[in-house]
Amino acid sequence: MAKEVTAERAIYMSTQHRRPYWLLAMLSVSIALAVLVAVGMGAVHVPVWLLVRQVTGGESLSADQRIIFLSIRLPRIVASLLVGAALSVSGLLFQGLFRNPLADPYVIGSSGGAVLGASIGVFLLPPISAAGFSTTALLAFVGALGSITLVYWLARVDGRTPVVALLLAGFAVSTMLSYSSYFLEVLDRDFGTGMRVLASWLHGTIAQPTWPQLAIVTFMLAIGLAGSVPLARNLNTLALGEEYATHLGLSVQQTRIAVIVIGSILTAAAVALGGLISFVGLIVPHMLRMVLGPDHVRLLPATALSGALFLLVADTVARTAIAPAELPVGVLTALIGGPFFLYLLRKTKQGVMP
Amino acid sequence: MMPLIEFAHVDFAYGTRNVIRDLDARVFENQCIAVVGPNGAGKTTLLRLAAGTLAPAYGEVSLKGRDLQLLKQREIARSVAFVPQNVEVPFSFTVEQFVEQGRTPFLKLFSGLCGADYEAMRRAMELTDTWSLRSRVFNELSGGERQRVKIALGLAQQPRLLLLDEPMQHLDIGRQFEMIDLIVLLRREGIAIVASMHDLALIQGTFSSVWLMSRDEPMRQGAPEEILQPEVLEVAFNYQPHHRHRLMERMRNPMEYAL
Repeated sequence: MAKEVTAERAIYMSTQHRRPYWLLAMLSVSIALAVLVAVGMGAVHVPVWLLVRQVTGGESLSADQRIIFLSIRLPRIVASLLVGAALSVSGLLFQGLFRNPLADPYVIGSSGGAVLGASIGVFLLPPISAAGFSTTALLAFVGALGSITLVYWLARVDGRTPVVALLLAGFAVSTMLSYSSYFLEVLDRDFGTGMRVLASWLHGTIAQPTWPQLAIVTFMLAIGLAGSVPLARNLNTLALGEEYATHLGLSVQQTRIAVIVIGSILTAAAVALGGLISFVGLIVPHMLRMVLGPDHVRLLPATALSGALFLLVADTVARTAIAPAELPVGVLTALIGGPFFLYLLRKTKQGVMP
Repeated sequence: MMPLIEFAHVDFAYGTRNVIRDLDARVFENQCIAVVGPNGAGKTTLLRLAAGTLAPAYGEVSLKGRDLQLLKQREIARSVAFVPQNVEVPFSFTVEQFVEQGRTPFLKLFSGLCGADYEAMRRAMELTDTWSLRSRVFNELSGGERQRVKIALGLAQQPRLLLLDEPMQHLDIGRQFEMIDLIVLLRREGIAIVASMHDLALIQGTFSSVWLMSRDEPMRQGAPEEILQPEVLEVAFNYQPHHRHRLMERMRNPMEYAL
């Protein structure tokens, strides 16, 4: 009997606490496959086997195909991977912070703030924004940080964040902020260009990023992910409530600030490339919670990979479904995510959350 | 002998409402104290002061002679575990993930759980008889199971002192008796206990002393048989003398009333 218990214990401890390697491996393979398929798809068809041969050393692509491959398809694919990972992880962080599975960078207004910040960069600071992408990213970060802080402050009632208060505060702030961006349009000096940029941001389009832009966003994502690692365990403790977490020795205030800053960096990274892409930060962590449970430590790496995969697939569908025209990917995620959000809202009302 | 926790001239107020005034009390190793008193007399406040999550307005609460205000919460949580009355968890943590949080005061920023952590968690779950529940979802447990799991979280902190806030609340009579057994068991394990208690009938035979708090009088301390007397309780709970016989009956024969 005692021996049996010991064995059971050993098996239990070794399975429960392992990172979900099987899932991470599966996701990585799926991403690699999805990239290969996505590179081939588009207005001009580039067969996958030609690409594989090119990568392995042969010169099989024509000059046109190489240009399409290197400066159009690949940057866009990388961008969608980055944006998806950034949105999903910031969603996970915000859900932990608000102790509410409905939090998402779009829903709670942090994306709206990032768009306003980025718009200020485009409309009011034309010389600098023309010179580099980094001012826009920085201003997007400041915007995201400001709006999330505002929503957090507005939505908290006695140390808790009721769903209704969170959604209303998020809705009000994000509407205000994204429409303020239209106001900036009036002040546009370089008539036309800014407007197009703004429109693509508000629709959630992953435009044609340049490699330096991608490098900056990769850097922001790396900082965001590295910062999330120590926070994941703290979010588990915070789930017990602030008073309990404080008693257990967690510095709640520090954790809160760290989550807000890291989450804003990630939101800004996503918005800088893709604008307002809604609900990705909601769908991805929720799906994974159903598979892996709510432990943030287990969820974090899987969320980053699944988010990247999800948005790559969504963006590929968005740009090929009605080719040669393109659907903004934000429209697609809103169409999938909207009903999903309502379903979650309904479930939360019944008080059962997976 | 140095007390585990000592209250020295402690005052505490929420805003302008004084809850605790000039409290002097000590908790020693191996003591098992029931804190009783009417609603609003400050039972939970007293437990929070002992856990270091509230700071006294005046006076000092000390842990083994060291002022709690000067200790880090992490340090306090390694000796004192507070088990709150209600815990709301927004996500579906398993019992084991829930109990794991008790190891928080021992973890460094980047390191995960080690063998000693798992050992403490296992021990805590075995003592509270929740080992078999470990894969269940905390939010789906019954009231009695949840109460035991909350205590398991506290025990995972490997405390010298366990503070229980209304551990019997919302439990049926069978689960109340289980809780009594658990308290007796923990006492035997050498863990001091301070528990706020509503049901006076469950105190005798389990607790070594009683602290009686009331809104206007200073706190009274004594053995259960000394404090749980109608004349004493009458003043604190402020009930009419003609209800005295009901109380006595209830104390004599708790089963009947609980059922």
